[in-house]
Amino acid sequence: MATYARPVERLISELSKLPSIGPRSAQRIAFHIVRGRKEDALGLAEALREVKERIKPCRRCFNLTEQEECDICRDPRRDASVICAVEDPYDIGPIERTGEYRGLYHVLGGALSPLDGIEPEDLHIAELIERVKREGTKEIVIATNPNTTGEATALYIAQEVEGLPVRVTALASGLPVGGDLEYADEVTLGRAFAGRREI
Amino acid sequence: MAYIRALRLVNFRNYADATVVLAPGLNIVVGDNAQGKTNLLEGISFAVTGSTPRTPNDSETVRWGQDFTRAEMRVALQDAGDERRVAIGYAPGQKKRLTVDGAPVRSLADYAAGGAGVRTVTFFPDDIRIVKGAPSERREFIDVLLSSLRPSYARTVAEYAKVVQQRNQLLRRIRDGLSSPKTLSTWDRKVIELGKTVLAGRAAAIEPLGAFLESSVRALYGPEKAALRYSYSAPLENYAEALREAHSADIERGTTSVGPHRDDFEVLLGGVNLTTYGSQGQQRLATLALKFAAREYIRQQTGEDPILLFDDVMSELDEHRRGYLAGYFLESTQSVISTTNLEYFEDEVRRQARIIRIASGSVFEEANSNASQ
Repeated sequence: MATYARPVERLISELSKLPSIGPRSAQRIAFHIVRGRKEDALGLAEALREVKERIKPCRRCFNLTEQEECDICRDPRRDASVICAVEDPYDIGPIERTGEYRGLYHVLGGALSPLDGIEPEDLHIAELIERVKREGTKEIVIATNPNTTGEATALYIAQEVEGLPVRVTALASGLPVGGDLEYADEVTLGRAFAGRREI
Repeated sequence: MAYIRALRLVNFRNYADATVVLAPGLNIVVGDNAQGKTNLLEGISFAVTGSTPRTPNDSETVRWGQDFTRAEMRVALQDAGDERRVAIGYAPGQKKRLTVDGAPVRSLADYAAGGAGVRTVTFFPDDIRIVKGAPSERREFIDVLLSSLRPSYARTVAEYAKVVQQRNQLLRRIRDGLSSPKTLSTWDRKVIELGKTVLAGRAAAIEPLGAFLESSVRALYGPEKAALRYSYSAPLENYAEALREAHSADIERGTTSVGPHRDDFEVLLGGVNLTTYGSQGQQRLATLALKFAAREYIRQQTGEDPILLFDDVMSELDEHRRGYLAGYFLESTQSVISTTNLEYFEDEVRRQARIIRIASGSVFEEANSNASQ
């Protein structure tokens, strides 16, 4: 038994498929669209269509792009001898905003997880190793998530490139800047200790 | 020394809304069976650690027909006059809401490791399973104890369990031809890295715990020498080798056969393993002695005396041992002991204790009971 007209029900049901949108949020957004201006709704529809029709993975690093290669790969000012390996395209944004990194990226497309049936073949690890050989990469910075699957993926990549003339590093994990030592959890603090440096 | 001043339980087990005021030293909770004595002790432990020691399923603590439970507690800290107020709210299916002095606490592991300002050692009659039961019971005993001292240990144990789960799934996938074995050594490295931390934590604790057990058993039982002996599924020095050697057998079985999740420790009395050969009485006394050892270990590690929550501990003991225990509890910073029969405590002990009467989920304090502070 549908409560609302069929097109409204359909919109609610489509919206509730999105991550972190529950049935109530879906309903609220749907009614916002129904009430709103037609141009706004069509603009959203057009944006959805465009993103699905025009966006594809970069053939070199698997970042998202409209071209064959993404903007970062095509930028001649970037240091092509360093590759930062990340799990997902949205991990690139935060690293870019630091302004600390001028190398290239490689999007793995996830992390190793036997429980989810994710094998090395499901990730772009072979392509990474291929790239390192082809491009003469000097360093791989592994920036997978600091959790079980991310760390296993980092270890696996390090094992796979053993023997190649490339340095493998991983991001340090430690204390948040601007925070108080007192409020750091023990694991974070423990890792910060393990990764302490000369000053 | 820190102790609990007062506790309020809302919708907890058979308590609709009850407040109990506690005194330092001995508190005796008295009442008939099935009135809520055990639930009160469980409620204190719930407020101190953020979860119940009686069941892995916290939703059982929510009062029948209600959709949430809540515990509030006032803790007197070591500095006289200083007080900490903690509250924990829990609705099944949702994250627990913990606050200390009104500020939210995000990590349950941090809270459980002394975040409330006090720690507890609990004894419930079915804890005899620690001595009598499967190795998993003994592993849980030592892991919970170490987690109450260091939140990083709790996280390592949890992380280790996850990695073993991943490795087991990989083993099954290799067996079924769904995965190649090439990532197995990667998961081995993660397993070893975390497993070694768990082993190191347990190894460092087992010796002092054994020594404390020995003196507790001497006081409770007699001159026979008690000891703890850790039994490794793989010796620490060639853990990696053992894990590698087990590859083909592990693939066949689809489980990880060596590591801290397969270890055990023996509880020995006069060289005899009590799990296999102990009488019911010996097992019960050894369980009690293990709890006393846990108290001493916490005291040694933190300099703070944990609160003793012992449920119905007197009923199966003879008069001599009851007398010893009463003295032990009187000298503790704080202990909350339940009983159906006040006669188990001598008049002199009762005069020094605070008596709390429980009847059908309500708390009544004795008029002439030792006043709280």
